[in-house]
Amino acid sequence: MAAFWNYDFMRYALISACILGPACALLGVFVTLRGMSFFSDALAHSAITGVALGFLVQEKLALPVDPMLCVFIFSFALASFMAWLFHRTTLAADTVIAFSFTGSVAFGVVMISWLGKYRMLDGILFGSIYANGPADIIKQALLALLIAACLIGQMRAYTLSTLSPEMAHVRGLRSGLLNYVFALLIAATVAVCLKMLGALLLSALIVIPPAAAKLVSGSFRSMLVVSVLGGLLAACVGVIASWQLNVPTGPCIVLTDVLLLTLCYAWKFRPSRAT
Amino acid sequence: MTAISPAAAAITTAPWTCRAPWLQMKNLGVRYGEQWALRGVDLDIWHGDLLAFIGPNGAGKSTLLRAMLGLVPAAEGSITWSDTKPRIGYVPQKLSLEAAFPLTVEEFMAINHPGSRTWFGGVPKRERPAIMEALERLGAADYSKQLIGTLSGGQFQRVLIAASLLQKPELLLLDEPSASIDRRGSEDLQLLLHDLHASLDLTIIFVSHDLHFVSHLATRVGCLNRNFCGLGPPHEVLSEHFLAEAYGGLLAPGKLHFHPHH
Repeated sequence: MAAFWNYDFMRYALISACILGPACALLGVFVTLRGMSFFSDALAHSAITGVALGFLVQEKLALPVDPMLCVFIFSFALASFMAWLFHRTTLAADTVIAFSFTGSVAFGVVMISWLGKYRMLDGILFGSIYANGPADIIKQALLALLIAACLIGQMRAYTLSTLSPEMAHVRGLRSGLLNYVFALLIAATVAVCLKMLGALLLSALIVIPPAAAKLVSGSFRSMLVVSVLGGLLAACVGVIASWQLNVPTGPCIVLTDVLLLTLCYAWKFRPSRAT
Repeated sequence: MTAISPAAAAITTAPWTCRAPWLQMKNLGVRYGEQWALRGVDLDIWHGDLLAFIGPNGAGKSTLLRAMLGLVPAAEGSITWSDTKPRIGYVPQKLSLEAAFPLTVEEFMAINHPGSRTWFGGVPKRERPAIMEALERLGAADYSKQLIGTLSGGQFQRVLIAASLLQKPELLLLDEPSASIDRRGSEDLQLLLHDLHASLDLTIIFVSHDLHFVSHLATRVGCLNRNFCGLGPPHEVLSEHFLAEAYGGLLAPGKLHFHPHH
């Protein structure tokens, strides 16, 4: 089994799993608390358009811009656009998210087709473990540090502004600024995780570990701990299982997350607890 | 704009102090889009007030609290705080929290503690005495380990008030504190707020639909429907004349089953 350690791409994949699993799970606790699961999923899907814009800038404008930067900028712009629509129109939030993300995915696919890169769509949707290298691991580590610094450093502020913006205002907290920083964190996570996990699957890393942790936790602290450890465990087990079973890594990590959720559900409703 | 009635105008001044008010609202108007939520509101808030706002749904009661907090801007008129602006505590009607979310009462208190912003759940040791003291003062220490989503209406209000006390406020604003509490719980809450008003020298302003609760707690009542129909002592404002003016046909004369507390 340890033979996988002899392959660079597997070593990199395991290191990435150890970094991204817990970081995404920590972010996910606040995504869940704020009821933004569908929002984060929409941003992940719309990354297809960000990639298409990256190709456009690179090839048609001949500018050496990293597509990851385009994904980040587009995701943040889309998040801001959706936030503007929430506040300025009478449309329901889920309607705004649904048409924003399906519209942007459709636009991205059309643009990728127009640029003659339709065959790359597979990699964008499902990610590729082979594309993950040392430079990506450095970016992933920086992302994890950023998430930890912003969320742990301002955890009371984030929690209170979610529970009651009025109480947060009285405390002198700037809820608007916190919301923008949070949207930036989601956009950065989408941009950094896209290469390895793909647009279709990456939101599972954000949403599933905290959902599982919520089922078995009796306090906020235990939810944070279980979510971060669960995210780490599921990502590592997923990478190793993908090697063992010779199946794609991204889907394997997501299936491990789903297994974790199922086990937590079974634990919560185990027969000895039933009344 | 509805003109204030002569009878209401006669009782709009606070009779008990010659000091400058903490807050002065002059001809205040607040609107959401084209719709005026408040218009032509004149109000002074004084240290020591125990003031209630009553009125029908959409009368602008909660908007008035939000205007005091600076959460909605004045579209016309002004809101002026004195040089010695008091520390404010705010008690919302509810929290944006799923009932099953695992947040304990003591963790909610820790979120509201004015300590370091860095936190990872639980209750830091150095903050526990202040948190337990606030919970004990409100009679809520017994359920400090319980999830906040599982509390009854009365327990939940006690916890919210205890959390706001951690900021050591001089002025406490409460939005519908008795909304989801039964009569017994409402009477307990009255006693608690009376005690806080007296023992902590806390100025209290609250919004309520419960005229019984208001009549037994407030020393001044503002009867609101976009502007004040009446503002003064409860035994004067909680009369059929002012209530009919504020509520219109919603509260028919002769249907008031409470007795204003003098």
